Amino acid sequence: MISPFTYFPGAGRGFQRLVSNCWLLCLFLLSLASVGHAEPSAANNAEVEMGRKIYMEGMRPSGESLKGMRQSSVQVEGATAACETCHRRSGMGSLEGNIVVMPITGRFLFATAENRPLALVDPREAKNVTRAHAPYNDESLGKAIREGINVSGAKMSPLMPQYALTDVEIKAVSSYLKQLSSDLSPGVGESSLRFATIVTPGVDPQKSKVMEDMMRRAFEQRNASQQTYSGRMRSPLDLLPRTLRNWELTVWVLEGAPETWAAQLAEKYRSEPVFAVISGVSTTTWAPVHNFCQQEKLPCMFPSVALPPVETGYYPLYFSRGVTLEAEVLAKHLRSEDKSVPKRLVQFYRDDEVGRGAAKALTDALKDFDIKIENRALDDKDLAHLKNTLKDISSKDAVMLWLQSADLTAVSKAAPKQVPAVAYVSGFLAAENYSFISKAWKPNVRVVYPYELGAKREKNQQMMKGWLKTWQLPLVDEAFQSEVFFNVLFLTDLSSQMLDNLFRDHLIERAEDMLSFGSNVSAYPFLGLSRGQRFASKGAYIARFGKDGKLGADSEWLVP
Amino acid sequence: MTDNDQILGLINLRKSLILSAFIIAFSLVRPVLAEESINMEHKPDAPSFTRSTATYNVPDVAVIRQDGKKLSFIKELDDGRPVVMSFVFVSCSAICPMLTHVMSKLQTKLDQEKQQAHLISISIDPESDTPAKLTEYAKKFGAEPGWDFYTGTRAVSLSLQKAFNTYRGDKMNHTAVILMRSKPGQPWLRVEGFLSADAVFQEYSALSR
Repeated sequence: MISPFTYFPGAGRGFQRLVSNCWLLCLFLLSLASVGHAEPSAANNAEVEMGRKIYMEGMRPSGESLKGMRQSSVQVEGATAACETCHRRSGMGSLEGNIVVMPITGRFLFATAENRPLALVDPREAKNVTRAHAPYNDESLGKAIREGINVSGAKMSPLMPQYALTDVEIKAVSSYLKQLSSDLSPGVGESSLRFATIVTPGVDPQKSKVMEDMMRRAFEQRNASQQTYSGRMRSPLDLLPRTLRNWELTVWVLEGAPETWAAQLAEKYRSEPVFAVISGVSTTTWAPVHNFCQQEKLPCMFPSVALPPVETGYYPLYFSRGVTLEAEVLAKHLRSEDKSVPKRLVQFYRDDEVGRGAAKALTDALKDFDIKIENRALDDKDLAHLKNTLKDISSKDAVMLWLQSADLTAVSKAAPKQVPAVAYVSGFLAAENYSFISKAWKPNVRVVYPYELGAKREKNQQMMKGWLKTWQLPLVDEAFQSEVFFNVLFLTDLSSQMLDNLFRDHLIERAEDMLSFGSNVSAYPFLGLSRGQRFASKGAYIARFGKDGKLGADSEWLVP
Repeated sequence: MTDNDQILGLINLRKSLILSAFIIAFSLVRPVLAEESINMEHKPDAPSFTRSTATYNVPDVAVIRQDGKKLSFIKELDDGRPVVMSFVFVSCSAICPMLTHVMSKLQTKLDQEKQQAHLISISIDPESDTPAKLTEYAKKFGAEPGWDFYTGTRAVSLSLQKAFNTYRGDKMNHTAVILMRSKPGQPWLRVEGFLSADAVFQEYSALSR
């Protein structure tokens, strides 16, 4: 049996002695304890696996697909009939419109008055928490699943299908639910909740420092605001349930070649397990981190990276597809241009993973399109002698500059007098550094711009700018810092919704469902996810410089 | 017991008092809150839907049909046929599959009765629901010709949701609504909640009589 104080941070022996005879203890036990579960045996494992197949895949032990019948005689079958569809992978339920799907893990279903956990069933209504009911047993669970009658004898939601499962299958589902989200995830301590952020080699130290400073400051603020037990209640909100665990941040600085990162991450994770990775920055590949997160079932939330792996996982979430998205937006733009498009497109890029990935993505996206693509991969030597490389660019060509800000400066120095018909620049990589653009080039430059523009952007960023000012933190890179700022703010929202149900799958589910709620503080026009979606922003503008020197939209928001 | 232990104990007791206070607060507010949402405890005799009549000002916006064609939504709506319409999104797991199943069954019924109607499903997650995804979704629910799925820009989808009063601030806030109209110029019948295909068919038949 897990201690009833699992959910109460900082409960020491002295405290237990003090309250042992106190009525308060009853209240504690009522709300804070968790359900114990038996040691797994081989027979139990087989039963759990049988339950998993029904729950997750909608597959019965016979190999038949699961069939359910909703009221109003709508039949559901297979994966759509699987419990996971509504109750989700964590078993913590979901919310859609005014449809509340309850948590059904063993902790909730089988809880007795002494060990009932608490969940927020509707994050929009902070007082709407799970309500007491008599504990289920296999028999009453069977009645709920087969007949749609719950343990209190009431008819369940018309959305809950009824399933003709056998006793053996009900027992298997029950066993699966007992172990589902029963142990808190790694990184969750008695009184702490630990997060990591990741910095890969080659990142501008100014950027990694401001990221760490912002996160530490936000964590300190958040922790201070949780200390309501100073004895003072400042607002009725202080009465709402929450997790009292302190957030802790660790920074994982990776070194050396990307092939060695997996081992470094494993070692760091082993010595200091974290609940999730928040933010993070890389100017090169991110794939080893992505793979690590997926392998360890570790949520990796919205790092600032230019080239997320194309193949998505469950645990890594991204702001966007980065340069791949830009390439596809540009291709869409070129295909929709009414005017004649240049016959030749010359791509300049750093000969590294990001550069090659971007160039390949554009080449792929323009397949079967009447344009000749030439690729020029640049190393340091090439960049020093860029004049030669740019020499043959004529006013009939289009160029695409997949270059980071430092390299763009080299272009400026070497820029020929002969101006290309159009010069496209990657908004992600340029990071708002357009100082390379000469007067002659300026009218012909178009930025593939993945962020919001103009007054809306200003408005959305105001909160972060005010916050930075308050805490005397510098503004180094607005779009990048707004990603970090968004992350800490979103994490605060997620945490207040999850209470002490600190399960990683639940974190991902909440992120999927709740991302687009609340005001937008990011540089993107809109962030939204849904089941299975892993990229929150899905388009970009083609932007150009106005007479005032500011970037403005030259296209509608393009979604490839 | 050391002094430290005692101090720690007192601090913790204070924590406990505050925690207990909110637990008590909850036990007090819970019964009031119970009615606020459709919970697992569904009242068997309560009607599971509401019906109302309304007129809407539909904006003249460009939508993209599942076959990739860019079209005027007004023209699609006013082609003379009766219309049955819903708002859905592909990755939605609870409400939309239910609504779309009902639309699918309704189409079969309409076909049997040799009645021509235009079934319309509009995406409320348009940046993700590309024409290709909508085609796949239509196929999954056995949509036949006469049932079209539309996407477009986010602004277009929002304007349609707002025009038909189905916008609830976010796609995850959406509710089950089916809108029907016997012909252009007529008011819309709006049913909210969960209906069987038979009930929708009855409502539809009453409308066109």
